[in-house]
Amino acid sequence: MIWTIARKELTELSRDGRFRLLAAVILLLAVASTAAGWLQFTAVSRQHAEAQRETREQWLNQKEKNPHSAAHYGMYAFKPASHLSIVDTGLDPYLGVAVWLEAHRQSEMKFRPAQDRTAVQRFGDLNGAEVLLVLVPLFILLVTFPVFAAEREQGTLRQLLSLGVPPRVLVAGKALGTLAGVGLVIVPVAALVALALGWASAGSYLAADASRTLALGATCLLYFLVVTGIGLAVSAWAPSSRVALVLLLGFWFATSLVAPRIAADVAASRYPTPNAAEFQRALDAELNDPEEARQRMATLQKETMARYNVTSLDALPVAFSGISLQSGEEHGNEVFDRHFGRLHDQFSAQARFFQWAGVASPLLAARSLSMALAGTDFEQHRHFARAAEEYRRDIQRTLNDDIARNQRAGQPYLAGSELWNRVPDFTYDAPSIGWVLGRQSTALAVLAGWGLLAAGLALLAARRLTSHLG
Amino acid sequence: MFWRIVRHEWQMLKADAVLWAVVAIVGSAIAYGVWNGTRWVEFQHGAIEAASSEERERLGRLTAQLERVAGGERVSGFADPRNPSNLGSRLAAKVVVLPPDPLGALAVGQSDLLPSYLRVTTESRESLLASTELESPLRLLTGRFDLAFVVVYLVPLLILALAYSMVSGEKEQGTLALVLAQPVSLGTIVAAKVTVRAAALLVLVVCLAVGALAVTGVSVTDGRTIERLLWWTATVAAYMGVWFAIALVGVSLGRGSAATATLLAGAWLVLVVILPSTLTLVVQQRYPVPSRVALVQATRVASDEANAQGARLLAAYYEDHPELATGDAEQAMTDFNVVRLAVNDDIEKRVRPVVAKFDEQLVRQQALVDRFRVVSPALVLQEALSDLSGTGAERHRHFVAQVAAFHDEWRRFFTQKIVAKAQITDLSTLPGFAYAEEPASALRARILSALLTFLLPTLALGGLAFARLRRYAVTG
Repeated sequence: MIWTIARKELTELSRDGRFRLLAAVILLLAVASTAAGWLQFTAVSRQHAEAQRETREQWLNQKEKNPHSAAHYGMYAFKPASHLSIVDTGLDPYLGVAVWLEAHRQSEMKFRPAQDRTAVQRFGDLNGAEVLLVLVPLFILLVTFPVFAAEREQGTLRQLLSLGVPPRVLVAGKALGTLAGVGLVIVPVAALVALALGWASAGSYLAADASRTLALGATCLLYFLVVTGIGLAVSAWAPSSRVALVLLLGFWFATSLVAPRIAADVAASRYPTPNAAEFQRALDAELNDPEEARQRMATLQKETMARYNVTSLDALPVAFSGISLQSGEEHGNEVFDRHFGRLHDQFSAQARFFQWAGVASPLLAARSLSMALAGTDFEQHRHFARAAEEYRRDIQRTLNDDIARNQRAGQPYLAGSELWNRVPDFTYDAPSIGWVLGRQSTALAVLAGWGLLAAGLALLAARRLTSHLG
Repeated sequence: MFWRIVRHEWQMLKADAVLWAVVAIVGSAIAYGVWNGTRWVEFQHGAIEAASSEERERLGRLTAQLERVAGGERVSGFADPRNPSNLGSRLAAKVVVLPPDPLGALAVGQSDLLPSYLRVTTESRESLLASTELESPLRLLTGRFDLAFVVVYLVPLLILALAYSMVSGEKEQGTLALVLAQPVSLGTIVAAKVTVRAAALLVLVVCLAVGALAVTGVSVTDGRTIERLLWWTATVAAYMGVWFAIALVGVSLGRGSAATATLLAGAWLVLVVILPSTLTLVVQQRYPVPSRVALVQATRVASDEANAQGARLLAAYYEDHPELATGDAEQAMTDFNVVRLAVNDDIEKRVRPVVAKFDEQLVRQQALVDRFRVVSPALVLQEALSDLSGTGAERHRHFVAQVAAFHDEWRRFFTQKIVAKAQITDLSTLPGFAYAEEPASALRARILSALLTFLLPTLALGGLAFARLRRYAVTG
């Protein structure tokens, strides 16, 4: 019975001109956005890989110089684009892509791609996630609103139920038929995305990416089920198809366009961040506190002399300049950890709030998951920034240790390629899917909750179908 | 007759729950939007104040130090406050500010992405312009819930909600044929219905917006603000006109209420959501801006080469003047500064063409956007509203151009001092900066062209709709 109902629903849908038009538009947008995402990804990853190679070469090809000059010459780390950024560019346009790793300073990541675009982009990027999470649900709602409401208006609902079809079977059949109709659009989109991903990675398609892709697919599917359930419930409950349409459009507008803005606003005011001027000032004040530097230097001198059992710095078997440079680094690291840690904690808290706000709009939970799985959320940006910073600290330690060992008082000391080579190449491994999902547990729970709610609503609607006949 | 219908329609509308739902939605959305915009303006003022007070205190300390040095205190070369190189590159760094417009609360525009204050030093133009505000990346992605969002996105939907069943609703109730049995044309009735709805919505939106502004402490009585608000009202009214015209075309097709609603919702989706993001996509594909990574690398290569050259420059200098190579610390410092100057200049020269490529692509993108903006009234309105609240890309470009000129002036000033190996003892001689607003006429011209962009489709679509309404199937 379910299959008959589903088949009837699907046949009716496929004969509907509006459905075909909508489906065509969505397919077209999906193709265009995936193609654009693919082009963007290949261009960016080529540029970044090339730049990463060049910066390494420049480092290795430095002429002989004092290690501390090399530390100031520094190196750049470039954020690699993740494969799934083809589907969801997430926060990437609004976060920097490059960070300079030099002596004494942790820098913020610079160059937000968004600043190199026109103001039109603020209307939203057309990427795969936008199509899947915003447009497809609207499509689902437009397909589901008349499912019961129109049958009731035409009087066929009473007829149908008089045949003895259990309402639950009817709801299930209608849901199945609608989903099959939606599937006609989604399956080609999914195939396309898979193709683009495979093509983009050209053999380097890792198991990690495959599991992320599958999880992203599952997220979308769950979100579609939620929307379908809500659509069917409203269609069964509304007095007319006109009311059902208005309510569902209102739901879509509120959850897809209004809720993200309000959630981001509330998140930003609950977890405020300082302005750049204040942040810099507070950082500089602690970093360059002359009193702190004087005391630290005095203690360091005393401790170092005690450790080597000598009474003057000149008698040390190592160069004190290297030790003092490293002490400066360590003081800096501690200050950076505190200031950047506080700032990034606030951004992380904002992102967590966004997951919680999924309670008000399932899109927020789905969006949060999709960005996380695509590797374009704040947590993974922070993960990269952290890795780059650790690398910077390694470089400084290696160079300062070398100064301490080899610098002789009163003589210039120049190091060469042997030392440059001792600094390892920068490699970055994106976190595992378990790491990602562990940080998305709220979004997962919220989306699952919405799934249950939608199923419950659809079942309640089935009851209402019969009670309405009374 | 027309006014009698208007009066009657107004009675009908007042009794309809839809109107009051619209009032509640628009009211709370506008209040929230304006409040939100005001808070953002406050944040900007706070940030600018933080940057400026840092500058004031720094210069205060510097002045005191200059006095002490004049009194005979010894300082090391790198910290010498009289040294033009130290002053220009760090100690006297100038904070330049794009002050938020008094009406900034109307639209956040690009002001959350493009910084409103910069620190000018003798360092490179690129490092100057790369600075950003620490803004929540999530909020940058989602965009703001400001008044512009309400007007651009929400108001058209409400217009469609108020208008879609104007005729079909009466037809479905059976009252349409009765009404038209009177000596009145359908066109007159529809015109009256639209007049009532448009007037009610416009009055509501404008009064609430101005009221909310006044409540949040923006002065709305000075001449400049009144002029701006009038332009704002005209632009919003014209935008609403476009949407009423679109709704009328939908109505005139003579479909049922639900079908008309679906159709109009589709039109909204295409014009407000799909076309703008498609335009972004097309523009980026047509004139792709490379990743800034390319610029980072180009700068790197250029500075490596320039630095190599710089060492040679200094060596050549000493070969010519062996008597100057005394190893005296102060002398070495001045030499170092001259070389650094030459090196920085050389880097700029090498990097300029790469930067120019970015700028050219952006200019091309903008030109393409300007050409195709008319495809979506939402795009035209967003741009106009940002313009009117001083948060648009155009005002920021104007600011950046002035900062660039000032940056050149700053560098010229310090270059002369460095080459002349002069000392600076009076900070008041340093170049100053004040942002000069772009002429009001330029803004007026842009707003006027936006108004025209709205007017033409309104007339065309409205005319089409009224022509079709003559053949409207009143029964059956």
